[in-house]
Amino acid sequence: MPEIILKNLTKTFGSVNAVDNLDLTIEDRDFVTLLGPSGCGKTTTLRMISGLETPTVGEISIGGRVVFSSEKQINLSPDKRDVGLLFQNYALWPHMTVLQNIAFGLENMKWSKEEIRKRVKEMGDLVKISDLLDRYPSELSGGQQQRVAIARTLAPNPKVLLMDEPLSNLDAKLRMEMRAELKRLHREIESTVVYVTHDQLEAMTLATKVCLLEEGVLQQFAPPLVIYDQPANVFVGDFIGNPSMNFFDAKVDRVEGEMIVLRTSELRLEMLLMKKDYEVKSGDEVIIGLRPEDIELKPYIGENTCTIYSTLPSGMETVVRAKIKNTMFSIVVFGRVDFVVDSVMEISFPSSNYLLFNKETKEKIGAGSLKLT
Amino acid sequence: MKKLVNRLLAYFSKPEHTILVVLLVVLIYLTIVPLFYIGVDTLTVHSAEVRRIRGSSVGDFTTYHWEYVFNSAASDNLFYKPLINTLLVAIATCAFALIVGGFFAWMVTRTNLRFKKSISTMMLFPYIMPSWTLAMAWLNFFKNKSIGGVPGIFTALTGIETADWFAYGFVPIVLVLGMHYAPFAFILIGGILRNMDANLEEAAVILKTSRLRIILKITVPIVMPAILSTFLLVFSSAMSAFAVPSFLGGPVRYQVLTTQLYRTINGVNPGAGYIIASFMIVVGVAILTINQIIIGKRKGFTTVTGKSGNISLVNLRKLRTPVSAIMMVILVAVAIIPLLTFAAQSFFVEPGNYSFSNLSTIFWTGEGSPDIANGEPGILKNKYVYQGLFNSFSLSLVVALIAGTIGILIGYSVAKTRGKFGSNMVDRLAFFPYLIPSMAFGAIYLSMFSVQRGFIPPLYGTFAILALVGSVKYLPFASRAGINAILQLGKEIEEAAIILGVRWWKRMVKIIIPIQKPTVISGYLLPFISSMRELALYILLVTPATSILTTMLFKYNEKGWNQYANAIVLLIIGIVLIFNFIINKVTGASLDKGIGG
Repeated sequence: MPEIILKNLTKTFGSVNAVDNLDLTIEDRDFVTLLGPSGCGKTTTLRMISGLETPTVGEISIGGRVVFSSEKQINLSPDKRDVGLLFQNYALWPHMTVLQNIAFGLENMKWSKEEIRKRVKEMGDLVKISDLLDRYPSELSGGQQQRVAIARTLAPNPKVLLMDEPLSNLDAKLRMEMRAELKRLHREIESTVVYVTHDQLEAMTLATKVCLLEEGVLQQFAPPLVIYDQPANVFVGDFIGNPSMNFFDAKVDRVEGEMIVLRTSELRLEMLLMKKDYEVKSGDEVIIGLRPEDIELKPYIGENTCTIYSTLPSGMETVVRAKIKNTMFSIVVFGRVDFVVDSVMEISFPSSNYLLFNKETKEKIGAGSLKLT
Repeated sequence: MKKLVNRLLAYFSKPEHTILVVLLVVLIYLTIVPLFYIGVDTLTVHSAEVRRIRGSSVGDFTTYHWEYVFNSAASDNLFYKPLINTLLVAIATCAFALIVGGFFAWMVTRTNLRFKKSISTMMLFPYIMPSWTLAMAWLNFFKNKSIGGVPGIFTALTGIETADWFAYGFVPIVLVLGMHYAPFAFILIGGILRNMDANLEEAAVILKTSRLRIILKITVPIVMPAILSTFLLVFSSAMSAFAVPSFLGGPVRYQVLTTQLYRTINGVNPGAGYIIASFMIVVGVAILTINQIIIGKRKGFTTVTGKSGNISLVNLRKLRTPVSAIMMVILVAVAIIPLLTFAAQSFFVEPGNYSFSNLSTIFWTGEGSPDIANGEPGILKNKYVYQGLFNSFSLSLVVALIAGTIGILIGYSVAKTRGKFGSNMVDRLAFFPYLIPSMAFGAIYLSMFSVQRGFIPPLYGTFAILALVGSVKYLPFASRAGINAILQLGKEIEEAAIILGVRWWKRMVKIIIPIQKPTVISGYLLPFISSMRELALYILLVTPATSILTTMLFKYNEKGWNQYANAIVLLIIGIVLIFNFIINKVTGASLDKGIGG
């Protein structure tokens, strides 16, 4: 039921559009992450949904009810929107105990003492803080504060849960742990979650759908693996994935049916387009995109060789930089392997999901296999 | 023995250690020892008292003063009533300052008020101006005929005679002091509100909390330490205020502790005065110690500062423009209009007659005629005014140089030996004068240096005693600046120079001071302006030869030579504002950013 629909949502600060004409439909029980570099408008979007920020233009409806509309002059205050908001810094009230923090919202809703007591206990059990109820926030660790904040947000049972970078103040290990718990929590409480983060790994791993923004403009709204495999444009391809995608400027030399002959400054490649969004013709300026793990290194010498420039082995995988002539590739090799710097190796492109973008519009043209010629 | 000598040599080979030990000795002599002498003075017969204490001679031991102050027929009027007045004034002043300052702070940080910038700037005015300016302005406006003077502007314009309770005594003292310290509450509370994580309030909004409940349950409890701290600082400042109760309470004999202190020490019973001074010192130290404890505990309240820029402001809707306008009008009335009245008053020959024909520059440039103020020439032609101006300037300059320089030395030695016993001691001793009410501080120096002390000759009546008391009293400003300057710098910067074999003196002058120029300059300029507008600290110690502008103002005011007083007020305010402006432009510091008081 709680479906969130944003229509032409725009927020202007001075002369800058923090959010620009955003259209988004978040379906019931989705876990949507708003992802983007800092200052891209993701927090502003979240705050507009919550009602803490007033949009300049547009319409927001939650669960079929219009909560904001610039046209119809509707602007419900945050308390009437039935949303929960989890803040980046937790925003626990320092002068109240954990119990008082959790109970505060329930008191506002005029719950009876008995109901409040029951609910607080329930929440304490859910996020595993039952033995901390009498402590003050300053006496808790970061992870515990985080759990209290979650309990406080969930206690009134909001239909929509908004989270603003809730894990960014935790250390790496705790963050991993909380991610898993948040995902589990989402299953248990069955509400719609909108989650802001600048951490692409977090966005990818948690979400049912990722919404990638840049400078207030929606770049792509799709499930994580679609975003990864079929980035809508160069920005998405570049932003998602670590190490990031290899990009090479190229010019279309010839088009023979589905076969395109491409020329970079040093290399000549043939690409067989399997999925195609736009047509290409010879003379077009394009960008080729290759995921680092889609490039293969082999020890024997065949027709295409490269020179190892540097290696960064981490155990699970090794990030290699290697050169063909002066063109640098970044390559990920899985497993416990390492390579000798300055040695020569065979390089090949076994995948069929290399990407082609329009250089001018930066939009994706299509995907296909690639061969050095 | 040889080992000990070697260890001492090693210890003193570091400049910070030598400075620390010298400072420790000097500061103990200038802050702790006087407390001992003032104690002795409360038990001694002074020359003015020989006739009231039968059969005694100067210097005799006596408990007369203690009995006289606390347990005699005169105690009520001498001590208990002024004490109660002082407490009432201080508490009412606190309440007024907190309500006005807190309200303005909340409006500016939490609502969509108009003219926020002008309001914030103007709000600081009453604090930058010396407190007695508002008192003078009040008199200019509301004085009445009942004490034989001429009516103020208000009566002249409306024909309504102001009532005594409104013109003099408790009410105006509280209003004037309260308005003077309201900016202080504004800065402290506003600072907390601004830095307070706005998310704390937003979290409550999301959880369906009403506006009122947010203020009562979230905002107020979190700013409580700041409110308490403001309360204590304003309380101790109001308690030690002298000029305002003297100007406004004098005409109706409304006495507070400071005015009694002045009367007794300048009059026939200095011993009683020293007891009042000691009492005020004890209260002052106690209050500010409590404050330190509270500030220390505030750690529990520190909250992660969040994106406060994002805070959603309360929409005042229809009230927005009217409320903004009213607040502006109040501030203009308090900050700008007083200045105009000083200017106006100083140009009217016959006081109370506000017609054009009565305008004259006689009090500025007149040669002086026998029928006006005993032939006192206009202040721009008056050699005493120039003498006072010169004295004020040179005194403030000397005070600034001494306090500022020692401040840097304290900063250096304390920061370098941080955490050690000597370092903590010097840090506390340098801050100690801040805890002592100005006039009481003047009193203890009077007690200590009016006779020969060891190799130091009697200093009463000299310029040196003024310079000394000023330097020590303003040392807290300078030493805070100095300590901050050195701590911010980090020791690596200096260590890099030590490795290269640069000598200490050169390290200070060529590296440390140039890098921290703004902080160092403010360490010099804050004592300068503070001294420029100081009255209570110096009033007990000046003699006609050493009188300064503020004490002249006080004398003119006592004699009822209004136009001269107004003209001098303008002169002092002009100097203070100009220097405050310079500091602000040069260093970003300002009187209102000092440690308060």
